[in-house]
Amino acid sequence: MAQKTTTKLGEVAARYPDVPRLIILKTDVQRRGVFYSDAAVGLLDERLHQTTGTHIFGSRDGDLTLRPESLLLRDGSSIITTPTPLEEDPYLVDVKEGVPWLFDDGVALEAVDYWPAPDFYSKTANSGVPMKNIVSARPQRLNIFPYRYCTFWNNNKGCAFCDIVSQLKKGGKELNIPAKLDPKEVSDVVGEALKEPGRFSAVFLTSGSIVSGQTPFDDEIDYYVQILQEVGKHFKARKFPSQIIGTAFTKKQLQRLYDETGLMSYTSDIEVLNEELFNQLCPGKAEWIGYQEWKKRLVDAVDVFGPGRVNTGLVAGIELTRPHGFMSEDEALERTLAEAEDLAQQGVSTVFIVWSPRPDTPLGNQKNASLDYYIRLARGLHALRVKYRLPIGYDDYRHCGNHPDSDLSRLLPY
Amino acid sequence: MSLLSQEIIDRVKDRSVSKVIATLDEDGAPYAVVSRFLQIGENGLLVHLELLEKSETNRNLLRSLWYEKKIAISVGDLVIKGRPVKAHVSGPVFRQYYEQVRSVIADADLSTVWLIEPEEVIDETYAIRKRQEEEQFPFSVHLDRLTVATK
Repeated sequence: MAQKTTTKLGEVAARYPDVPRLIILKTDVQRRGVFYSDAAVGLLDERLHQTTGTHIFGSRDGDLTLRPESLLLRDGSSIITTPTPLEEDPYLVDVKEGVPWLFDDGVALEAVDYWPAPDFYSKTANSGVPMKNIVSARPQRLNIFPYRYCTFWNNNKGCAFCDIVSQLKKGGKELNIPAKLDPKEVSDVVGEALKEPGRFSAVFLTSGSIVSGQTPFDDEIDYYVQILQEVGKHFKARKFPSQIIGTAFTKKQLQRLYDETGLMSYTSDIEVLNEELFNQLCPGKAEWIGYQEWKKRLVDAVDVFGPGRVNTGLVAGIELTRPHGFMSEDEALERTLAEAEDLAQQGVSTVFIVWSPRPDTPLGNQKNASLDYYIRLARGLHALRVKYRLPIGYDDYRHCGNHPDSDLSRLLPY
Repeated sequence: MSLLSQEIIDRVKDRSVSKVIATLDEDGAPYAVVSRFLQIGENGLLVHLELLEKSETNRNLLRSLWYEKKIAISVGDLVIKGRPVKAHVSGPVFRQYYEQVRSVIADADLSTVWLIEPEEVIDETYAIRKRQEEEQFPFSVHLDRLTVATK
């Protein structure tokens, strides 16, 4: 089928010839979401493919129906898809010549693969819970979501874009996913997963924040340490390729995390790089830690984990939401990249995910930013990694796959 | 239909024939390395196994896929020009080659299974190319080769 040249995607690709078309496509699919046709769902085979349901966050259509978990592009990168109602103009995943393709406005754009199911997905833990509900997978990463609640929501100060709690309620009821995992059982599942040759290249942990403890977040640290120590028993070396997305911990807490576990990299998502917006959109984080302290703790983490092993994540697009957001994309870009550079020159990398407005969140009825904005942001964050020579191998296409900016960094020799 | 004849396929399969993959870097400079595991894949595609994620060749192949640049593979005296069309980094195809590599090299890893679509095959066998040159470019031949033999 001839490719339509007037699609928005084509226009944007023409404006940014230095950015691969596949990355632009991926970014736009994340931005607009996808809709899986009945035929596309019909290709799904749970023995071969990963299906939706294990993730800590929800979808844009708020539905838990069985669908492909996500997609692989032919350059090996992933598109983490959020199923989206047709009336919101998503990309369509449909079938062409027997395989799934991404379509836009009737035009076939790219053949895609569904994420392959790992061997352990067909197995059940001793507790009777399916192993995939204890540890889940990306194409090359083991995901551990040890605690599917965030205590910032205790006084209703969760982040304005986040649906972790509503997803927990759905997941607990409909999918038999435990809210809090047993470290030994996690380790057993990881051990089973590691039997599959050539499948996994990193262990990843993230959970909601846990404010309790002798000092705030000590309980969160305790829990991560327990899990990582159990998981670490499977490896010959003390350190193993791993990443955590945790709260911004104190240097003492970070040192403990590093010294007592095999953890090799640390991520703490500041979500938005502006203090006023952080206070408005992440009130729990602002209440317990604060914007400037969050940045300081990220920089402190470089002393502990080393340069090129610490980063922060943005939910890109929330900085433009009403009523508090920046008034233009130009301003948002300039101010976001200035803050990212402040962190980069101190050894902290910044990555972004495309914000996907979800129905059960305070920002759920707003729209994300333009495709141009996301491409410019990806180029800007990548350029900072080049300027300050910051490796991003722990959060790249192999390990996360959800950051267009770190996809660009695949060509870097470091 | 694949460009690769049975004769070419046999040469790719012949372990005594050397295989080299040549790619272009960011500046357009060529970079050539031995492709130890080059083989024939499905649908007439060539399979190059790249063991190291950050190798110059792996990054150049990605650049070729992203920006639609050609690469070249020499198989003995044959040169096959083509394009990388797919990178497998996970799944059953990847696993098959991962196990193959590890059965050959102890404790090896595999970064990417590259599928390369051949677009042009050039036979650089000297006798064939010499005949072509002499037919098409008669003015580049040294005259001493054309003289009547003297006693």
